[in-house]
Amino acid sequence: MIGGRRPIQGRKPADRRVRVERPHSAYFRYSGPGQLVAKPAASTPRTGLDRTVQRWKAWLLGRPLASEEEIGERLPKKLALPIFSSDAISSSAYATDEILRVLVLAGSAALFISIDVAIAIAVLLTVVSLSYRQVCRAYPSGGGAYVVARENLSQTAGLIAAAALFIDYMMTVAVSTASAVSQAYSVWPQLYDIRIEIAIVSIALITVANLRGLREAGNIFAMPTYLFVGMALLMIGLGLSHIIGGTVPQLPDPAEVIKPPQTLEPLVGITGLILLLRAFAGGAVALTGVEAIANGVPAFKPPESKNAGNTMTMMAILLGILFVGITFVGNRFGIQPTTEAGPTAIAQVSSSVFGAGSPLFVLFQISTALILFLAVNTSFNAFPRLAAILAEDGFMPRQFSLRGDRLAFSWGIVVLAVVAALLLVAFQGDVHLLIPLYSVGVFVCFTLSQVGMVRHWISSKESGWQWRMVVNGLGAVLTFVVLIVVASIKFAAGAYLVIILIPTLVMLMMFIQRQYQASAKALAVRPDFVVRPPAREERAIVTVPTINRAVVRAVNVARSIADDVIAVYISDNPEASRELRERWERQIPGVQLVIVESPYRALAGPLMAYLDVLDRAWPPDKPEPVTFVVVPEYVALHWWERILYNQSSRRLRAVLLGRPHTVVVDVPYRRDDPDRFHYDNEPHADPGGPEPASSEPPANES
Amino acid sequence: MADSTTTPQFRRAVVALSGGRTDRPIVALAAEVAKTGKAELIGVHVVEIDWTQPLDADVAGRSESAQRVLDIAEATAEGARYRLECVLLQARDVGAAIVDEAVEREADLIILGLPFQRRFGGDFTIGRTIPYILKNAPCAVWVVREAMPKEHA
Repeated sequence: MIGGRRPIQGRKPADRRVRVERPHSAYFRYSGPGQLVAKPAASTPRTGLDRTVQRWKAWLLGRPLASEEEIGERLPKKLALPIFSSDAISSSAYATDEILRVLVLAGSAALFISIDVAIAIAVLLTVVSLSYRQVCRAYPSGGGAYVVARENLSQTAGLIAAAALFIDYMMTVAVSTASAVSQAYSVWPQLYDIRIEIAIVSIALITVANLRGLREAGNIFAMPTYLFVGMALLMIGLGLSHIIGGTVPQLPDPAEVIKPPQTLEPLVGITGLILLLRAFAGGAVALTGVEAIANGVPAFKPPESKNAGNTMTMMAILLGILFVGITFVGNRFGIQPTTEAGPTAIAQVSSSVFGAGSPLFVLFQISTALILFLAVNTSFNAFPRLAAILAEDGFMPRQFSLRGDRLAFSWGIVVLAVVAALLLVAFQGDVHLLIPLYSVGVFVCFTLSQVGMVRHWISSKESGWQWRMVVNGLGAVLTFVVLIVVASIKFAAGAYLVIILIPTLVMLMMFIQRQYQASAKALAVRPDFVVRPPAREERAIVTVPTINRAVVRAVNVARSIADDVIAVYISDNPEASRELRERWERQIPGVQLVIVESPYRALAGPLMAYLDVLDRAWPPDKPEPVTFVVVPEYVALHWWERILYNQSSRRLRAVLLGRPHTVVVDVPYRRDDPDRFHYDNEPHADPGGPEPASSEPPANES
Repeated sequence: MADSTTTPQFRRAVVALSGGRTDRPIVALAAEVAKTGKAELIGVHVVEIDWTQPLDADVAGRSESAQRVLDIAEATAEGARYRLECVLLQARDVGAAIVDEAVEREADLIILGLPFQRRFGGDFTIGRTIPYILKNAPCAVWVVREAMPKEHA
């Protein structure tokens, strides 16, 4: 665009040049022929309110990131370990409690079996983590159990796995937060009364951290995870040295200790086996979160699969050492399970090893509370990714696949936070009430993904497929057995809710997909169809509330759309109709005005009926015309003024939206538009001069 | 990375953009060198208007390819984390327009890219713009010739 600029004289008389304006350059950049890339300025809010909102959003969440910055958001292993493993590692903080609470039913002496139960769970952990290492290798695009089950078993199996994972992630947030708060009131009992408030604030903080983006979330979460791992290893080491040296401290049992029942359950026969299985099912919560790495493989730096697999191994080793170590030291120190208000098993171990109230004890409890708070983050990473994959497959609303300003899947993050907060409130932040709902979903997806992997190796026959299939097959059998045990033993305690929820979620996802498929079918254009210019006639109907600038603009827009223009005035006042017709014929000649008297004061009904009448009057041998209903709209300057206007326009739009062969055209007229208003018959008139209805909004707007 | 102890410093440089293969390397080089002295970079692309049209004919403004030359240069500079101001000119003579723009903007350096090409007959050719600028620019001129292709070496 030259923009009327005159040539600039150079140093020599003949050397002249013209600077060409580049109006697109502030907002766009050409990246190829006919292809523009928007710059940040193109997304700048245009109103004061939007600008204020954006400033606050940028302060809270950080500056928006461009899509190409995503690769910079990929995680190195040292950040991925705390992000994806904090859930699994942190479950070592409460898994021991869950074993002890069951075993105590057989008397204090039965607590010594806890180490055997822990070792059995560690074996299961080894098999499951080896199996998931294979998933990382085979499915570098992530998705975990959902993708594996979908690709190798069936779509329904995939959806069952996805529903189970959703429940698992929601429960992780609720359970870990509740458990973190319980660690805090193990040290400061006065916090018990405000546990729900603390939990909700912590979920809000983690939500904000995640909305800021992956890398920043990793930076926030790395330190507490490593602090917990370091302190827990130190505690186990010191505990072992006390055990070996025969210097195990004798501490009094806490006041809240759970006393064995009067009638002890025997540890032999079927009853004993069931008790052991219950203890095993309780401790199996230690495995929750193991699958998160397999779900988040694309978040790793390249080579993604290898890095994810190595992180998985590192996580399993750490979790195994911590869980078995804490249980063993607790076992030898004679730790007793306590009620909800009492100190946790890990708090008792640290109190014995570091000394009650010592700085190391307080630091360890803080690090335990922190990692439990941050364990929630594993779900905040995995849930939105899974929801995005499902949304791309059409099983979730499409919003879940859209990235926010910081490249995070904002919808998934916010939905997860809200549901988890509601769960915490509903269960009053009680870990032991929440846990029965927890592990069933986890083992459903473990089993489905392992079975899926067995099918994968059989069909792909990659190198070493036989031993890989054996690993996954063993994982499938073991996790299925644990699933049956967990589901049957925890059924009455709340697992039945999960068993109802999984099919409900599956049906909901199938319903969403059917809706999307139906709309896609309705909107589809055959690939061989060549679009030709329209052959149908067009007509424009302008809804007229009075004569004002907005109406004049709408009439002119209608004239530019079609030759056949009719203005329709719906009135309940014959006197006003007469006055309008007189004025219309004088001021807007050439455009037919139809007045529809509406004695019952209805607006939308008579207009629709009039449109129907026009359609019926159309010659049957001609194709139906496209009817453009042109609605003048007065746009007030401020958002708070807008509530006063355009209620009728909105109503009309809503009614007309589904009408066949009808297009609704909104013609906005801003209050600061008068300079652009053209008096067609007075080309030299002062555009800012008086005009009878210059600032009058549509009359029937209320 | 340029070494600030050996690299000549400048305040403002005009980078002449031809739309050819040398544009990206010279912009990247200019950005790296400019960083050391926080110098200003101005990318100039000139669309030559022949005498059959008026000088202010709406040619470059409507030409997507002319706009793209500058947009690609701007993106290259951004990739090097540096800002490049872009100017699109129409002129009868490219060399004169670049020199005049550099003079008007008080640039103390003009950077030009020179593709290695031979005229029919085998002689290395430099065109007419670069000699004009070398002869008439009041400021320093850097000409960065691209590496000789293997078949010519």
